[in-house]
Order: sequence, then structure tokens, then C-alpha cells
Amino acid sequence: MPTSAVSHHRPDDLIIRLSSSSSDADDDKLKALRYLKNQIIGNRTKKLSYIKLGAVPAVVSILSDSSPANFESSLSLLVQAAATIGSFACGLDAGVKAVLDAGSLPLLFDLISYPNEKIVDAGARSLKIIYQSKLAPKYNLFQEKNLESLMLLLNSENENVGGLGASIITHSCRTSIEQKALSDAGVLKKLVSLLGGSLCQREASLESLATITKENPEVISQLVGLEERALSIITELTKDKYPRTRLLSCLCLISVRNTSPCYLEDMGITPKLVPILLDLLDDPGQVGDEAPFALSSLVAGNEDLQNLAFEANVVDKLCDYFQKEVLQTRRLQGILLALADLCSALEKCRSRLLSLQVFNFVTDALTHRNAEVREAVCIFLKCISRSVQNLSAGNFVKESIISLLIQLLNSSFTSVQIAALGAISNIVVDFTANKSLFIQSGGLGELIQLSKSMDSSIRLNAVWALSNLIFLTESQFKDDVMLELTTTALYGLICDSEASVQEHALAFLKNLVDGQLDCIEYVFAEEGLLLQAVGRQLRSALKTEVLVQGMYVLCNVASGVEFHKEGVMQELLQPIHSNHQPMIISFLQSPISQLRVICTWTIINLTFPSSPGAPDRAVKLRNAGIVPQLKNMVNDSCLDVKLRVRAALGQLMTFGDGLAAV
Amino acid sequence: MSLFWIVIRQLAEIEAMQATSKKVITKEEWEKKLNDVKIKKEDMNKLVMNFLVTEGYVDAAEKFRFESGTEPDIDLATITDRMAVKKAVQCGNVEDAIEKVNDLNPEILDTNPQLFFHLQQQRLIELIRNGKVEEALEFAQEELAPRGEENPSFLEELERTVALLAFEDVANCPVKDLLDISQRLKTASEVNAAILTSQSHEKDPKLPSLLKMLIWAQNQLDEKAAYPRIKDLSTAKLEGPSI
Repeated sequence: MPTSAVSHHRPDDLIIRLSSSSSDADDDKLKALRYLKNQIIGNRTKKLSYIKLGAVPAVVSILSDSSPANFESSLSLLVQAAATIGSFACGLDAGVKAVLDAGSLPLLFDLISYPNEKIVDAGARSLKIIYQSKLAPKYNLFQEKNLESLMLLLNSENENVGGLGASIITHSCRTSIEQKALSDAGVLKKLVSLLGGSLCQREASLESLATITKENPEVISQLVGLEERALSIITELTKDKYPRTRLLSCLCLISVRNTSPCYLEDMGITPKLVPILLDLLDDPGQVGDEAPFALSSLVAGNEDLQNLAFEANVVDKLCDYFQKEVLQTRRLQGILLALADLCSALEKCRSRLLSLQVFNFVTDALTHRNAEVREAVCIFLKCISRSVQNLSAGNFVKESIISLLIQLLNSSFTSVQIAALGAISNIVVDFTANKSLFIQSGGLGELIQLSKSMDSSIRLNAVWALSNLIFLTESQFKDDVMLELTTTALYGLICDSEASVQEHALAFLKNLVDGQLDCIEYVFAEEGLLLQAVGRQLRSALKTEVLVQGMYVLCNVASGVEFHKEGVMQELLQPIHSNHQPMIISFLQSPISQLRVICTWTIINLTFPSSPGAPDRAVKLRNAGIVPQLKNMVNDSCLDVKLRVRAALGQLMTFGDGLAAV
Repeated sequence: MSLFWIVIRQLAEIEAMQATSKKVITKEEWEKKLNDVKIKKEDMNKLVMNFLVTEGYVDAAEKFRFESGTEPDIDLATITDRMAVKKAVQCGNVEDAIEKVNDLNPEILDTNPQLFFHLQQQRLIELIRNGKVEEALEFAQEELAPRGEENPSFLEELERTVALLAFEDVANCPVKDLLDISQRLKTASEVNAAILTSQSHEKDPKLPSLLKMLIWAQNQLDEKAAYPRIKDLSTAKLEGPSI
């Protein structure tokens, strides 16, 4: 029957024909259904318009209503209806939603138990498609019955049904308990056997294995114990001729390596993954888009692998992509993140990248329409700006980049704001030029605004940036900053509800009072508001870093004039909440060596022989029991502590003779 | 002895030769070496079957299976379906081809946007070829334009195709290559490959690779020795060596 090129079937007519309840109309229904199916397959635009017209419920009702009266046509209707539902859900969130809302899931599951292979195939395919979407409901893996059904699916002879079982696992297995439950139910053995099956079985199995073993050393050891060759099989697949198989097997191995590196060490496969992933970057499709993300997870935090990648010219290759063409969003994000990971620790990577002169794309990416790309480029900037020599040479920090970063501080996406704050923190930490540029571009107000955010991560990162900003600056600069920030606001931050915010606020204060003597006055302003805050936190805080930063402040203040030293003394002798010992004694007993070092320095500052009040302070300290405490520490395990303790004791002893002992 | 045997022995012998460094080998010596090369008949049969199956010669594959006892590595029934699709495209019945592909496996076109685009493109070309200009315009607007919107990388090809509509004398316009039969064959081949991949079958037969390997191996050996070469693959005749 010749068909015309353009549809002469009006869409709404079509839906009426689909919904007809007369059983005579089955033939016509089938025609309409096939027509609809062929209209929508591959055609996203048509899918959306048919969804709007309400086609999905009409099709789903065919699944539920199919009368056994006319078996032949019933079979065809079921197959076509299942295929159509699957197509609506394919790659389209709106379609998945429509299909789920219309109640198709249980109906499709029913199809799998039909005695007809074609129907089973159709049902399984469509279910697999649905379970590839995040919107599909979570399959409850805690229920015994469900696990049994899942095993039945996996053990099925039918390729599509087995693949469905694997897809459900990939979709629904989230927690380590679920991972263990699946492993105990015997899923691992089955999945490994699927690795030797057809292309789609292999790929489905690789995804499931990666999901089940993710961050779970116990399951990984079960896998290796059960099937010794499992990892070798997966390694072989990294050389498979299908790119997606290669990518999925790499992802699997990377996941195992990140959790339990021991299993892969003997095989020496890890270094070989770098060239394989580099090669996958060339794939023009989805595989090439995902390859840089795999590279990131491989090298993140691992300098040896970053080195290896550098030797393999990964930096050049990734940067090549920028010159080539307009990049698809996902790929752009991936490449930026991969470059960030590569440049996170190794200076040679950063230098190489900067020498390639690809910086114009950075400015472009900062204003990209996609938030994830903007976030990625900020993370990249944070890593690249760890290159002190390039920062100082002013090699890449330009006014344009700084103003764009400041603009991003206003983003409606928290993740972008935090990433921008991270980049700014690194850029402003050294070199007055960058600090001034930042202030001139209006960044200070933005930072202070963000330090008042309701979101604690934003507050934290904003305070961190501020802290870096005033690091090693002149008092005039500090005055300007404090004028805008205000003592009260700083007080609030030191007393913040979040310990990490407290920590960075105290770090800010430490940097503030470091340097010229007049800066120490800040601590005593408004009747010693800030000093009180520091003391309060030191007495009550539990987080080590808060105690460390707080003591740094006191140590710096103790290097000042008499009045300053007296202020510190008062705080040090107060009992802390946890054990009611005087602060100085308690902290000297801390297991944290850094804290012990700072405390001994503080004592040295306080009892410096040339200061007039030193003898009195020495007495007070002795009365608090400082001498036996210090004597205990003469052979401290930390060299720094040992040396300072001896210096402090030496100083105290110069006042000791002739004074009343405890 | 079949040409096939000769070719394969030639290849095996050359590969063995690479290790030594003889300068000139006479035809006599060479043929003697070839005779010593052991090739299994079953392997040859599998190669032939692989070729027939991948290229879609169903009847020939059936007969060959019957006569040689070689089992094909995929179900011959699926070849018939696949060939029907390929033939439909080669004849310009693209809409029919699309329906058949969707019956075979509805996921193929849903997950291969480039293939789907090329099939739609072919539909447009066929409409233009048949002089149905108005229908072609409507089709371009309703079916092809959305593909360009969904995927900007298709825009260039889309423009080329739509350009056909701008010319009175399509047979002589700058984009006339689109009207060639070769364009149909290209699309047909793409569909064939996609179906084979979805059935997890290799989309390329092994035989051409073997022949390519032979030519490459001969070129490599040419640098080291003079020996009888196969110049004409279709006759597999040993020629030379030229001294």
C-alpha cells in the first residue's frame, strides 16, 4: 500500500482510533498504532507533540485491554503497543514521565511472562529503556521476592530479558547494603558469565558490575574470590573493538582501582588505561563525551598517574579539542574537569597547558550558557592558579577573568558560586597585583555578601577567600577590608553554627593580626569583642582545626605589646569545658602536634625576657603547672615541639630562681 | 587449486619470510614453500560463509551450508529481514525501509540519530527525484528541519540537501551528487551496518581484510626481496620475480 511522504493522518484522529473500544476496530487500531510508532521512532519533536495530545494513555490502554478473543491481532497489538511505549521513553524525560504516569510499568512486566518470544522481547526492550532513565522508580532490592524475580530475569535465555535484569541493577542499586544483598543472592557469577555474551549483554553487565562494586571493597573481594578471572576478562574487554565496551570496561576497572587498588597492581593494567581513554576521546558520539570523565576519575588525586598521562601528551591532546571545533556541552565540561585534575598537583602540567595559549576559550567558557560548564571552568581555574610562578608573572590572570569570576559569584547555582569562590581564593592568595585587581573590580562587596549566605558551604568558601585575600598584606589594605566587613560581622562568623566556618573565620583573624603591630588592635576593638570570641571558641570547640586556628591568633597577638600579652594570658588560664583544666595545659597535652607547637610558641612569646611583664606572667604560668607539663614534653615525638619546649623552659627558668615555687 | 588457497598460502608464506633476509626467490622455490603451508579447509569455509552472510546472500549461504556443512554464525532468517531493508533503500523506498527496520528492532533508529537523519534525507532526495516539489518542501519543513534543531551538527548536510530544491536543473547543480545512486547505496550500507551491530555481528566481512593484509605484506616484503607476487587479486596469479 503506497504511503505518502507527509502525514495525512491527523494526530487527534489517530488517538481517537487508538482509543476505540470496539473490538471490530482491532484491525484499524493496529494500523493506527503502527503508524504512530513509525512516526515517533527517532523523532523527538513528534514524541513531544503526541505526548501533549495524550497519546500515551491511549497506547497504554491497548496493553491493558487487549482482548484474548482475537488472539492473532491481540499479539500484534501487544507487540506494537510495547514498542511504541518504549519509543516514547527513549532518551526523553517527558516521555518516561508520561509512560510511568499512565501505569505502563506493571503491564510491561506482565508481558515478560508471555509464552510468545516476540512479546517478551518487546516488553523487555521497553522496560530496559525506561530503566535507563533516572526517573524510573527505584526497584526495591531489599525485598526477598524482588530479588528472586531479578535473578529470574538475569537467568533468562532471552538476551533482552537478561539485559533488563542488568539494567535494573545499574539503575536501582545505590547503597552498600543493596550491593551486598545482590552479591549474596548470587548476581556476580551471572554477570560475569554475561561478559562472554552478545554485545548488549556485555555492555549491560559491565555497567551493572561497576554499580555493584562501587566503593565496596567487600563485594570486590567477593567478585575476585568467586571468579578469579573476572578482572582479566574485564581487562580484555578494554581492547574490544566496540568503543562503548572499551569505555564501560575502563570505568569498571577504574572503580575497582579506586576502591581496592591491590587487585589491579599485579596486572599492571592501570597505566595502560591512559592511552585507551585517550583514544576513546576521538569517538564523535557519546563515548567520546564520557571519556574525559573517566580520565578524571582515573588520575584524580594520583600523582603517578597524572605523571604518566603527562608523558603520554594528554594535556596537548585535550587542548587540541578547543582549537578544533565548537564543543558539545558535555564534552566541554568533561575536558575542563580532566584538565583540572591533571593540573591539580603537577606544575609541569600547568606550565605545559599555559604554554599552549588556549586561554581565550577560558573566558568563553566562563560565560557559557550551561551552568555545569561554568562550574567546570572555575574548578579548572582553581587548579591552574596553583602555579605560583605563572600567577606571579601575571600570565593568565587578567581583568576580564577576574570580573567574570566576580559575576559568577552572583550565579543562581550554588555549585557555580562555590567553584568561583575556589578559583578566587587561589588567585588572590599571593601577589598584591591580583588582590588589588580583585578589589578594584568590586569583588570585596560580593565576598562579604556571600559570607552572610544562608548556605553554610557558601559562607565557608567566602570566608576562605577573604582570609586568603588579606594574607600577607599591608595594614592599609587590611583596614580597607575591615571597614567593609566590620568587626561585628567577623564576630558573627567566628561564632558561626558551623565548625568549618568558625575555622576559616579564625584563619582570617590570624591573617589579620599577622604582621604589623597595629593590626593586633583589631582583636581588642569594641571592648575586646573578637578576643572574647576567640576565647569562647577555644574553650568549647571540638574540631581540631578550630582550636589550631584559634591558638594561632593568640600566638600572634602574644607577639605584640604588653597589653596584648596580658589579654592572651587571661584567655590561656581559663578552664576549658571538656576537662576543666586551664586551656594552656590542656592544649599542651593535645595529641595534635601542631597545637602543641603553637602553644609552646605562645609561651615563648609571653615570657620573652625583654618584655617588662614577662616575670609576672612566668609566675602565673608556673602557678598553673606549666613547668612539670613542659618537662614531660622534653622528649616529644615531634621535633618542632621538642625544640620549642626546651626554649620555653629555658626562658621560664631565667625567672625561676629566687621566686616562690608552687 | 582454488584462487583462495593460493592467496592464503601466499600471505602465510610472506609472513614467515619476513624473518629471513633472502634477496631473490625463484618461482620454483616459492611454489615449493607455498605447498608446505598448511591451511585448514574448515577455516576457508568459515571465511566464505562469513562473506556470504555479511553481504546478505541468503540463498547462497543456505546452499553453501547444505553443501559444505559449515554453520553460519548468525541466524539466516535475520539476514532475510536485513536484506529486505537494504533492498528497499537501494530501490528508493525509504519509508518502507524505515517501517521494516522498526519492525526488526525499534531501538535502532531511536538510538542512531545520524542514521535516522540520513534516512529522512534520502526520503527528501527521492521526493525531489520524482519531481514532487511541493511534497518535498512540506517534508523538508515538517520532518527535516526538526532534526537540524535537535542536532546542530546535521545543519550543514541539511542545507546541502535542501539546496536541491533551489535548482531548476537538478541534474547539473552543485549538489547533484546527492541524486546519484551511490548516495542510496551509502545510506543502504549505513542501515545494514546498524542492523548488524544491533545483532552483535561484525559489520565488515573478514575476506577484504585478508586481502588488504596480503597487499600490505607484499609491499613490506618488496623492500627486502624479489619473489613471485600476486598482482591481480581476481586471478591470484603468481608473477615474477622480476630480476
